[in-house]
Order: sequence, then structure tokens, then C-alpha cells
Amino acid sequence: MSAAMLVPDVGPAQRDSLLGRTNPLVKLGIALAWLIGLGLTLDVRPPLVLAIVALVSGLLAGSIRPRVLLWRLAPLGLAALGIALTNLLFSTHNPDPLAAELFRVGPLRVTAEAVAAAAGLGARIIAIVSVGGVFALTSDATRLIDSLVQLAHVSPRFAYGTLAAYQAVPRLADDLATLRGARRLRGLREWHPRLLVGMLVRAIRHAEQLSIAMDARGFGSGPRSTCRPVAWTPLDAAVGAIALVILVAALLLGR
Amino acid sequence: MSTAAGAQPAASPSRFAAWRTRDILVTAVIGVVFGVVFWVWNNVWAAFAFLQPSVLQDWVYGMWLVPAVLAPLIIRKPGAALFAEMVAASISALLGSQWGPDTLLSGFIQGMAAELVFAATGYRRWSIGVLGAAAVASAVGAWAHDWWLYYADVSVELQALRLVVMGLSAVGFAAFGSVALVRSLRKAGVLEGFAA
Repeated sequence: MSAAMLVPDVGPAQRDSLLGRTNPLVKLGIALAWLIGLGLTLDVRPPLVLAIVALVSGLLAGSIRPRVLLWRLAPLGLAALGIALTNLLFSTHNPDPLAAELFRVGPLRVTAEAVAAAAGLGARIIAIVSVGGVFALTSDATRLIDSLVQLAHVSPRFAYGTLAAYQAVPRLADDLATLRGARRLRGLREWHPRLLVGMLVRAIRHAEQLSIAMDARGFGSGPRSTCRPVAWTPLDAAVGAIALVILVAALLLGR
Repeated sequence: MSTAAGAQPAASPSRFAAWRTRDILVTAVIGVVFGVVFWVWNNVWAAFAFLQPSVLQDWVYGMWLVPAVLAPLIIRKPGAALFAEMVAASISALLGSQWGPDTLLSGFIQGMAAELVFAATGYRRWSIGVLGAAAVASAVGAWAHDWWLYYADVSVELQALRLVVMGLSAVGFAAFGSVALVRSLRKAGVLEGFAA
């Protein structure tokens, strides 16, 4: 595991793109609305439409490089296939004598209805991870936290405490390398559950030092001023409205 | 960057006001560590993707529920289960990008389910029985969510088997795992000033 893989991958081109300038809360809202919409249909068409819309808008309106997007999504294809396979082999339709049998796998009967449902669920996962990939590659953690505090009125102590903790992510990768090196020197197996204890010890020590430093600077003790103001823009309303129209259209297609 | 565009009110005096900065940072950092662990664990889970029936991969599920038990066991304040699980999930959604925004929904359900069990004890009882109940509640939440979103067409028999395997995995990883981790952390001397 390298530190580079864990650091948010939002470059200047993505940040300044149309989707990058859209408020992360709007994108999160869209992602959750689409997620719930996807949960309403087993048809294969709506998730495919939503996946294609997400990927194309990520590439065109989000300026994400195709290779980066592909690299993000590739491992998820495997998971989508695995879950689709479970739905295929153990479908509620398979024991139904009225369902059309296609083939048998050992003792398991596989029906046409099961194939349709498995395709729908596999496509659903592809849609979910496509939306997630585009969200992650165009959204900045700091802007999300700023928006949560200023626009969603989340407690600033919890929100900025979380943001401070996020900064520990690259350190954790370094800590892990150090701990593995120490184990190697002692002739121990490099990967062991005890590594987790070492990581937690270092992370908690870091958190305590950080909290002392933050308290010393008056964190959360009085009225806050805002360093990076965030406001809703017409772009947020437009992107949100378009996304809702696309969701409704995709769901109608599945009827 | 511009300065002082508007003033935010100070943290409101709710029951969360009892959270010290230290509690917030330590809970968040536990969430962050497990966010990274989740990221590794997603690949462990994916490595078993083609084992069927899927319960053969569900034995690893409990790892995703650990922060919802570990953080409240250390911090012992209302909201710790939900907060830690949401921070861990947000790492997946924001930095690791495995399951996308669904990790936030899953994290909310899993954290809230454990939170309800701790709330039912008034955040006063921390026996292995309570921890196990919280872990199982979290697994039940995850199981219901997965049935709806991912295994919608799977037969009831396999769903029931999944629930059993996920519940056992949760008790193993989240309840007993948290107790073992807290014991090691206390020995390392990092839990001074915490109730655990």
C-alpha cells in the first residue's frame, strides 16, 4: 500500500470542471437519490442508463481522465460479477416450477427470470460504483466539510475534527511501512493483525497531540469566523435539477 | 483565501457538548484508521467474490462493523458508534472510492444500529454481552441493507444463512476484536484519561 493511493485524487483540472465547481453536497444528494432510485427497480435498463450518464458526465463535465476512471472502477467489476452470480444461482425464481429453466449447475436450476434479475442487480452495482467514482474524483474533502458546516449546519467541532483526522491518512501509510519494517528486522511475518494495534497506537497519540494543539488555539471555544465561504450557486440548482430529471426518465424507461 | 465572511454560532450546548476536542479527534482517527482497513478489506472480500454460496465470503463481514463497537467502548459518549462508523465510511466514499456513496448509507445504518443498543443501556454498561448485542444489531442493519440493495433476488434460505454468518462474524471481529484491541491499547498506554 503506498501513500499515493490513499491521497485524494482531485487535480486542478477536475476541481475547475463543471462537476468540480458543483457543491459536493449537491453531488452527494444526487448520488443518494440515484442510489434509492436504483433500489426501486430490478430492470436492467435504468441502472445502465444511470451508469452511462455518470461516466460520460464524469469524463466530459468532470474532466476525469479515462485511465484514472477505469483504474478506479476495475476492481468493482469483479464484485459486481460476484454479487450478480449469487443472485443468479440462488434466485427466488429458480425453484419456481413455472419459471423457464435455462440450464443446471449441479443441483441448482437456473431460470430465465433469475438471469434477468441478476443482470439488473449487476448493472445496479455498476451504476452505484460509477456514481461513486465520479463523486470521489471531482469532490474535495475540505470543500465538503466547509459545505457541511456552512450550508448543512453540521457541528463545526465534529466536522473540522474529522477534517483534521483525514490529514492522518498519508501518515498512516508511512506508519504502516515503518511497522512492517520493524517486524521484518525482528524476523517476523510482515503482515499480521498486530499491525493494526501499532497503527491505532500511533494514530491515537497523533490525535491527542493534535487535540491539545487545537484546544490551545481556541478550537470550538467561541464564535467562528469563516475562512473559505461556501454559498449555493445557480450551477448547483441546475445540476441537481438535471440529475433528478435523468433519474425519473431512467426509472420510467424501466416500466 | 478571503477572511471572516460570516460568523458561525459556537457549538450548541447539547448532550454532545460533553465531547472534549480529544474525544472528537480520537474517535475520528479511529474511524480514519478503519477507513484504511476497510479499503484493504474490500480487496480481501473481492478475492472471495466467486465463492458460492456467498456466505463463504461473508465471514469477513464483521471487520466493517468494528469502529461502531471499538470507538464507543473507548470514548463512552453518545454518538461515538455512529460518528466513528460514518468517518470510516467517508474515507471509503471520498478517498478510497470503493462502493461510493453507498458506504455512507451503510455506515449510517451500521453505526445507528449499534448506537441504539448502547443508548438502550444509557451508555453505562460495557460488558461483552452488550458489545455482542451492538455488533449483532449492526450486522442485522447491514444484512437488511444488503438484501434490499444487492441481494434483492436471493432466496430467503440463503438470506437467513447470511444473517447467521454475518452475526457470528460481527461478534468475532467487532465485539471480541474490540475487547482485544482495547486491552492492547491500554497496555501500550494510549488510553489514559479514557474510561475504557
